[in-house]
Amino acid sequence: MALSVGLALGAQAATLAQARPDFSGTWRLNQAKSSRAVVGNNPDIPFPSQIEVKQSPTDISVLNTSVRQQPVSAVYKLDGSKVNVQAPEGITETGEARLDGSKLVITSRRSFPSPAGDIAVEFKETWSLDAGALTIEKTRTQSGESSTQKAVYDKL
Amino acid sequence: MRVITAFATVSVGILLATASLQAHHSFSATYDGNKPITLRGTIVKMGWQNPHAHLYVDVKNADGKVVTWEVESAGPTTLMKQGLRKEDFVGAEVIIKGFLAKDGTPTVNASSFTLVESKKEFVNDEKTP
Repeated sequence: MALSVGLALGAQAATLAQARPDFSGTWRLNQAKSSRAVVGNNPDIPFPSQIEVKQSPTDISVLNTSVRQQPVSAVYKLDGSKVNVQAPEGITETGEARLDGSKLVITSRRSFPSPAGDIAVEFKETWSLDAGALTIEKTRTQSGESSTQKAVYDKL
Repeated sequence: MRVITAFATVSVGILLATASLQAHHSFSATYDGNKPITLRGTIVKMGWQNPHAHLYVDVKNADGKVVTWEVESAGPTTLMKQGLRKEDFVGAEVIIKGFLAKDGTPTVNASSFTLVESKKEFVNDEKTP
């Protein structure tokens, strides 16, 4: 009986561990393993050079930084509720995050003024861990046009 | 006299090199990676110079006002390798994907642009050294 309970608890713990991947850490972009269009002078989709992640059972905190660019940060609730993203002045952004099995999915909507009027852009990021590396697949949708790029990050 | 000529030649060379370096700025210094933008408009002029070709594109805003945007693209050699010719597309409708300038002017760095009629896409494939 005790063995059965122990096995059941063990299995449950294993399931929980599998369902709750931990993305915590400081991650740096690995240019060699990423799509060409995420780095250099002409990125198709902006990916940060470095990401700092702190994760708790209920929240995930994300700080994106890039060279000579303003940082963007957010504390997402893992229940998928909408939060305000801390973006540079002039940019308004909201987003939400949820765990989907072993993956984290973050969706966000950003808007800012421009000489062409107010600009809106949507992003969808899917995070996954593999062999110690963080892979982020990101889709940018704007004015009916969509494109997707992939970036790989190494843990520092 | 020969010394003056040599000095003038060197000076002009330095000035040209400085101008080239200023023109060949990095993306992160001039453009805002947090502000991606997609524009649709008509090409009215082409600047076919190195290190970056520049398209001048008239874009109509929601309020009907037309704004001429300066679009920094790849160099002429890169564009020509992809089949683009300077005289081919002035007056053509184009969709541009890129990033706004940090200074708020109607200037954009294009990661790609697509000619609407032919659906041909030109990618700015230049990479930071």
